Amino acid sequence: MICVALSLATMHGQNAQPHLGTSRTQATDPSRKQFANFLREPLPGNARAQAKPALYNPESLYQYIDGGADIYLLYDFKNLLHQDLKSGAAEVTVDIYEMGTTEDAFGIYAAERSPGYKFVTIGAQGYQDKGILNFFQDHYYVKLSGSGASADTLLDQFARILSGRIGGTKTLPALLAKLPPGHQVPHSQQYVRKDPLGHAFLAPAYIVSYAQGKQESKLVVSVANNPQAAKSRSEQLVKHLKQSGECASAPELGEGGLRARNNYEGRLIARTRGRYLILLLNPSENGAETLKAVAQSLP
Amino acid sequence: MKNEKNWNRREFIVKPILWAGAAGVLAKTQLLSASTTPASAPTPILQRPLGKTGLSLPVVSMGVMNADVPGLVRRAYELGIRHFDTAAVYQNGRNEEMVGRVIKEMGVRDKVVIATKQTSRNHSPITAETKIRFIEGVEASLKRLQMDHVDILYHHAVDSVEDARAEGQIEALQSLKKDGKTRFIGLSTHKTVDVLNEAIRLNVFDVALVMLNCTMTHDSGVLKTIEKAAKSGIGIVAMKTQAGGTTKPDAKLPKALPSVSQTALLKWALNHDFVTTAIPGFSTYEHLEQDFSVARDLAYTHEEEQFLADKVFVANAEFCQQCGECRQDCPQQVDIPVLMRSHMYAVQYQNIEMARQMVASVAPGRGLDACRACESCVAACRNTVHIGRKIAQLKTHEASQLFT
Repeated sequence: MICVALSLATMHGQNAQPHLGTSRTQATDPSRKQFANFLREPLPGNARAQAKPALYNPESLYQYIDGGADIYLLYDFKNLLHQDLKSGAAEVTVDIYEMGTTEDAFGIYAAERSPGYKFVTIGAQGYQDKGILNFFQDHYYVKLSGSGASADTLLDQFARILSGRIGGTKTLPALLAKLPPGHQVPHSQQYVRKDPLGHAFLAPAYIVSYAQGKQESKLVVSVANNPQAAKSRSEQLVKHLKQSGECASAPELGEGGLRARNNYEGRLIARTRGRYLILLLNPSENGAETLKAVAQSLP
Repeated sequence: MKNEKNWNRREFIVKPILWAGAAGVLAKTQLLSASTTPASAPTPILQRPLGKTGLSLPVVSMGVMNADVPGLVRRAYELGIRHFDTAAVYQNGRNEEMVGRVIKEMGVRDKVVIATKQTSRNHSPITAETKIRFIEGVEASLKRLQMDHVDILYHHAVDSVEDARAEGQIEALQSLKKDGKTRFIGLSTHKTVDVLNEAIRLNVFDVALVMLNCTMTHDSGVLKTIEKAAKSGIGIVAMKTQAGGTTKPDAKLPKALPSVSQTALLKWALNHDFVTTAIPGFSTYEHLEQDFSVARDLAYTHEEEQFLADKVFVANAEFCQQCGECRQDCPQQVDIPVLMRSHMYAVQYQNIEMARQMVASVAPGRGLDACRACESCVAACRNTVHIGRKIAQLKTHEASQLFT
């Protein structure tokens, strides 16, 4: 049986860069060293590698997840370590995605997460379902899957040991903590790096759902570099809304306030606050108060 | 990102018409159908039959994988797009959820053609077990889509002849078709020649989703194989038609692509009449409008002709897919894939430091110095990369700055 550590020493890149496994390259590649450390033995259940681990880069990721790679690339994907292991009758697949920043790792994690999952206290945030356990921590997104007897227990053990080895920060992006918690839909937060709501000019943005009764609203906080840029974003939004539906000024909502509706975004209210453009889609009756509370909470 | 001021003349004409038409009709109805397009629309949307399926599709469809934006799907439908392509692997299934939710909200399930894909990676080598897992995966997709069937179900990412003929997956696809869980079955592939030839031989697939873009201009092997598959009755859906131009242009194409490139590239693919439809992966309203403008007229504008005739673009667009198959054909054992990556960094990224690191990572005796500039590697490249020319460019860099 080839042990994981030995396999990592000859790690190769699924055709994409089969000669990057030379010792010279490894010595200058901190990601490779880091990955080797994550999966060093001992591993839970004395799990053993089933084959050489594979390392994918932005050019080769599509070979592993095909068109699914596109969204990872949007979040500044750097490297993926893929390893199949076996422990007794259980099989485990470990995928560790290294992303550009903590925000990027959270962004791709959140893009694949559903609020309906069973959440677990691993990493900055994680969830478990039958045969899968995914979490993000620092600038890594870890996806574990397994099958066979006691696979779910094994996944939990793997997640905890990987979390310990990854280290770094275990928190959500800072801005999310500042948003009003009342009526927030748990685990609905997202970070959208590119084209939020289908508009390039809104990027990047944080998106959170709020619910009152059966009505669910979507809060979008578009982060510009400065107040002038936020105003420019608002102007572009107004242009889009006027072209595609109705849009009117609403000074009662605060700085740059507006109310609009069309067939795509539906009803929405918005305003600016410093370098932020804040939108609330499908606002409830208390939408104006929510918008105000969000504006006051932002730094 | 494209600014409005950079739009070409055609876009200036088309976009206001489309928006104005939509705004006017939307005031009265929730949704526009293609058949109720306002009178100002200049020509009907081009449609083509999909193999032997009996389906007819607008030439421009929507690859939904890059767009977790319900409004964009609504707008796409409103413009006349009727085919939406998703996959179980996109956003871990969330993409299917979004597509299903929007189609249900709009109440247009019977007016659209929904495709999803099921991968079989990590499946058991045992046929019966693979079949069960594949079917379970599709059942989960249908649940997320809130549909009792899809119209096209692809075996996802079939990148070898062995994958194409895998019994468990084929049995699963046929079983799902028989049970009404999908109307048609197909496969998606990046290994066009081998896999399509096998698909033709197997004669079980209704549709094939294949990569097709102008970087393949001179690759008669790929083009002829796709055409042969179409003639055999397999419906051809094209992907990657814009060669990553909008989502990751830096990786494969020159940095500063003009906006006209996107319509030019899409038209290039669709001007092969063996292609039924393309699934561009736009993620903004702006790009949706731009891509769909192609659906009414595939004739190139003057600007598009100029773009496609640009030899610098064509040369740069030839991208190495790092398959490594050329390596075995090099008599000098040159590490061609790494040198092609070096070229990408040096010439396209202008990142000399990365290029230098890449070149330095090559094993002794297998780098630039080992290349004798013979042309055998050119013939071996299946993606028409002019390896010899790129290595020559690298050597020029070497002389000037790459190793200084």
